[in-house]
Amino acid sequence: MAAQNEPVGPRPLRAVPDDGYPNWEAVYRDNAAWVYRTLFARVGNRADAEDLTAEVFLAALRPLRLSASVGEVRAYLRVTARTVLAAHWRETMGREITSIDDIEQPPDSEEAISTAPQRVAHVLDSLPDRYRQILEMRFLQGNSIKESAVELGISVANAKVLQHRALRLAAQVNEGGQP
Amino acid sequence: MNARGLRRYVDDLLRGRRPKAFAPDDFEAAQIRTAIELRAARQGPDVENAPRPEFLTDLHRRLAEQMNGAPPEPAPKQSTTRRQVIVGTSAAAAAAVTAVSIDRALIGSPTEGPVSDVAARQLTPNDGSWQRVAASSDVPDGRMHPFDLGSVTGFVRRVDGKPQAISGVCTHQGCRLWFDAPDDTLRCPCHTTSFSPSGQVLTHQLPIAPKPLPSIMVREVNGVIEVFAPPRQGEPA
Repeated sequence: MAAQNEPVGPRPLRAVPDDGYPNWEAVYRDNAAWVYRTLFARVGNRADAEDLTAEVFLAALRPLRLSASVGEVRAYLRVTARTVLAAHWRETMGREITSIDDIEQPPDSEEAISTAPQRVAHVLDSLPDRYRQILEMRFLQGNSIKESAVELGISVANAKVLQHRALRLAAQVNEGGQP
Repeated sequence: MNARGLRRYVDDLLRGRRPKAFAPDDFEAAQIRTAIELRAARQGPDVENAPRPEFLTDLHRRLAEQMNGAPPEPAPKQSTTRRQVIVGTSAAAAAAVTAVSIDRALIGSPTEGPVSDVAARQLTPNDGSWQRVAASSDVPDGRMHPFDLGSVTGFVRRVDGKPQAISGVCTHQGCRLWFDAPDDTLRCPCHTTSFSPSGQVLTHQLPIAPKPLPSIMVREVNGVIEVFAPPRQGEPA
């Protein structure tokens, strides 16, 4: 506690931003994580999510007005991410697979980043047990097909078929159709 | 219909690889969508649902090149420099986080322990000097001795023989506290907030508890108790 009684040097003086960002680095630091997560939730793999995140910031930062408020900057980044994702699907699959929709919530909120956990929970709930189990093991827990087959007490070939059918059914449920 | 393309796409997703493009029909597109959502719904510390620090650092470097027109760090020694860049940026990020935590600590939350309170809420003027507030004999054990230096007002007392000093200004709206000796309590005349002699909030009627009182650096030399305080405006320190 002795050190506490010694005066310390002052901290550097910082201007308080008026509900905006002081520079592009602050914009990047504050928003990179949710932009990445938003894109990851819609492509499902790291490589694409990283490429698209880079594309968003490389496209968005230069024309960005720093006088914009934090909320405006985030809305602008989300719109940029929507455009980048749409172009990605057009170029790779020739059609839109997933999209970033208009929402009421702030772009950095969990609801805006991804509704996948809720949707998946709903889909899994409505599947027969074996279908639910194989999807949980393979997609959520990341088990290999072999491990999953052992756990389910079936052959690897049967596990593959089970996974294939489970995903078909899950897709039907997810698209609003009845199983 | 492209059963093989779909199978490979799903397999790549499951292996964490970049999936290969193919031309899916409606139902295959729906299955890809579901497979992506299943992958995105994973939770836990090891999943890819958060950006890698290396990725963030590398993208920061690329953005700096774009925004500043030149690479911020020339890279003659490729491997070591890249590592340094990563380390440097993480340190900067860590520093930013620290700054934020310090601000939080200063704003304060009632759940914080008394140790961090004392550490974070010490009054530390940029320019200060040791200024006399009392003779040692004026501050016997248990006595709350008020002082007013113009720049700082407060109370000094003795705890286990050692002097302690706290600010005498309420942390809510700045009203000057008075010491209620029979109750051993500092009281605010404005909103009946009360503080203990060590500066902790005892009672208040506000929606959010006000911060504890900042402590003031204090020492005892040659029979005099001094606090470290800024000079009175317009006077030499």
